[in-house]
Amino acid sequence: MENLNEVLQLFLSVDNFIAIALGVVIGVTVGSIPGLTATMAVALALPFTFSMQPVAAILLLVGIYKGGMYGGSITAILIRTPGSPASACTLLDGYPMAQQGHAKKALKTALFSSVIADFISNIALIFFAAYLAKIALNFGAPEFFWLICFSLTIIISLASGSMVKGLLAALMGILLSLVGLDSVFGSQRLTFGNYNLMDSISFIPLLIGLFAIPEIIEFYRKKVVPHIKAKASGAGMTLAELKRSLKSIVRGSLIGVIIGAIPGTGATAAAFISYSDARRRSPNKANFGKGEVEGVAAAEAGNNGVAGATLIPLLSLGIPGDVITAIILGAFMVHGLTPGPIMFQENLSLIYALFLGIMFSSLILLVVGNAAIKYFSLIADIPKSILFPIVLMFCVYGAYAVNNATFDIWLMLAFGVVGYLFNRTGIPAAPFLIGFILGPMFEDNLRRSLLISNGDLSVFVRGPITWFFIAITFGSIAFAVFRFFRDRHAKANPLGNESPS
Amino acid sequence: MIFAFTAFLACPRGEAVMSFSDDRAVKRIKDTLDFTTGIVLLVVSLVLALYLVPNYIGEPPILQNPMMSPRWLPNIVSWLMLAFSVLLILQGLLVTNKSENDERKFIKGSLRRFVIMVMALLVYVLFFETLGAILTGILATVLLFLAHPVRTWWVYGFAVAFPVAVTLLFVNVMNVPLPLMPY
Repeated sequence: MENLNEVLQLFLSVDNFIAIALGVVIGVTVGSIPGLTATMAVALALPFTFSMQPVAAILLLVGIYKGGMYGGSITAILIRTPGSPASACTLLDGYPMAQQGHAKKALKTALFSSVIADFISNIALIFFAAYLAKIALNFGAPEFFWLICFSLTIIISLASGSMVKGLLAALMGILLSLVGLDSVFGSQRLTFGNYNLMDSISFIPLLIGLFAIPEIIEFYRKKVVPHIKAKASGAGMTLAELKRSLKSIVRGSLIGVIIGAIPGTGATAAAFISYSDARRRSPNKANFGKGEVEGVAAAEAGNNGVAGATLIPLLSLGIPGDVITAIILGAFMVHGLTPGPIMFQENLSLIYALFLGIMFSSLILLVVGNAAIKYFSLIADIPKSILFPIVLMFCVYGAYAVNNATFDIWLMLAFGVVGYLFNRTGIPAAPFLIGFILGPMFEDNLRRSLLISNGDLSVFVRGPITWFFIAITFGSIAFAVFRFFRDRHAKANPLGNESPS
Repeated sequence: MIFAFTAFLACPRGEAVMSFSDDRAVKRIKDTLDFTTGIVLLVVSLVLALYLVPNYIGEPPILQNPMMSPRWLPNIVSWLMLAFSVLLILQGLLVTNKSENDERKFIKGSLRRFVIMVMALLVYVLFFETLGAILTGILATVLLFLAHPVRTWWVYGFAVAFPVAVTLLFVNVMNVPLPLMPY
C-alpha cells in the first residue's frame, strides 16, 4: 500500500503528463517529416531532460520513441517515404491504398493497429520485466559478462547489411568507449593529454553527431529534390474492417513482443514477419501488396509491438535492445540511475511510475495520431531547407549544454563526419553505438569476475546460467554464419529462391 | 591494388573508372568502396595496434592477471579490427554489390551549398563562446538559408526568432546554461 502511494505520487505529476503528451507530439511530428527520424528526435531531446525529474525525462523520450514509430508510417503511406526502416513494410499496402484514394483508411488502420499493439507490448513489459529482473538478481559478474557477450553477438549478427561491417562498427564503438581514465588503475587511455577526454567521450555529442549531423551533411551534399506534397483523403477505417484485421493485429503484436524482447532484432524484422504471417493466413492473400487493409494492420502491429518489449531487456538487465533504448539508457545514466535488477530492488516505485506513464502514452498516441492525420499536410509541407538549419541549431546547443564546452561541439562534428562516412561506406551506426555502451560494461564485468576469482578463469563457467549464456552466445554466432552463407547462396541463385506464389 | 585505390579516388562514389590506364586492376575488384574502406580501416587498426595502444595507454608495472591490464581490451579490439578489415578487403575483391537500392550512392548537388554549410558549421564551433548562442545561431541559420537558397524573404525571420526562442528555452525554462551575449 505504501508502495502504491509512492508510485502514484511519482506518477501523478503535471510534469509527467506534459512530458508524455509533448513526447508523443514531437515523435509523431518528427516521424511524419520525411528525412527526420525518431532516433534523431530522441537524441536531440536528451539535453532538454537534464533539469527534469527522472520519470518525466524518461517518459518524454519514450513518448518520442512511440510517436516516432507511428509517425514514420504516415510518410510511408502518403508519399512512399518510410520514416523508419520498419515502416517500409507498411508502405507495401499503405501506399497502394493511398493511390486508390483510401489514404485516410490506411492511416486510421495504421493508427488503430499501432495503438493496440503498443498496448499489448506495454502489458508484456509490465509482466516480463519484473520477472526477468527477479531471475537476473541471481546473476553475478561472470553471468553479466556472458550476457553482454551474447547481446554483442546478436546485435552485430542481426545488423542490417554486411556482418563484417557491423562487427567493425561495434569494435570501433568499443574502442572509443575505452578512451579516458582507466577505472581500476587510473591510467590514461588514448586521451593524448587532452583533459576533455579524461572523463571518457561524452555520450550526447556522440549521439547527436552520429544520428543527426550526417542527415544535415547529406542534405547539403545531395542534389536538391523537389518537395512532394500530399494529404490524407477518403473515408476512415470501418468497424468491420477493424474486426477483420483484429486477429492479424493481435498476432502481429505478439510477434513484435517476442522479437522486441530479444536485444538487437528490432522493429523491421517484426514488421516483415508479422506481414508475411498475416498474408499466409488471410483469405484475401491475393490482395496483399495491392492495397490490403490487413496488410497495413499487420505491418504496423509488428512494428509497434516492439516498442514496449524493447524496454524489457533494458529495464530488467540493463541491456539496450536497439539504438533508441541505448539513448534511453543514456538518459537513465544522466539522472544517476542504472537500469537492471538492482533498480527493481532500489527504485521499484520509479519503475512502476514509468510503467503507468508508458501505458498512458498509448492513449495519448491515439489522440495525437488522429490529429496528425488531419494536419499532416501542415507538418510535412515544411521544406527541409528551413528545417535542417533549425535542427543544426538544436544539435549545437544540445552538444554544448552537456559540459558547457566548445570541445563537445567539435566532438559532435567529428562524429557527424564519422556518421556521414559510415552512411557512404555502408557501415551501420547502430552497432557502433551499442558497442560504445556495452564496451565498458563488458570490461567492467570481466575485471570484476577476475577480481572475485583471484584470476581463476574457471569463474566464467561456474554454473548453469553461465553455460546457458555461453550456449546462446555461440548459437547466435553460428546463426550469423549460417545467415551469411544462406544470403550468399540466395544472391548466387536469385531465381531459385523465389517462391511459387 | 594501388591502381584501384587511385581509381577510387578519381571516382569517389565507388564506381569503377573504365577509362583508367590499367582497367583490369580495377575490374578485378568487385566493390571498390568496400575494398577502399577495408584498406583505410586496416591502416587505422595497424596504427592502433602497433603505435597508439603501446604508447598512449599506461600500464601498471605489476599485474595480477594480464587480462586486468588497461591495454588488454584495446589490444584485442585493435587486432580484431585488423582481422575484420582484411575480411572487408576480401569482400570488396570477391563480392559484387548488385543492390539497386544501394544507399551508399547519391547524386551530388552543387559544391556552393556544401561549402556554405561547412562555413555555417565553422561559425558555430569558432564563434559560439565569443559571440554567444543567439548571434552564432542567427548567423549560421542565415548562411544555411542562403546556401539552399531560401527565396521567401519572411522565412528569414525564423533565422532570428528560432535562435532567440530556443536559447531562452534552454536557459530560462530548462535551466541549461548557454553563452547568451558576446564575450
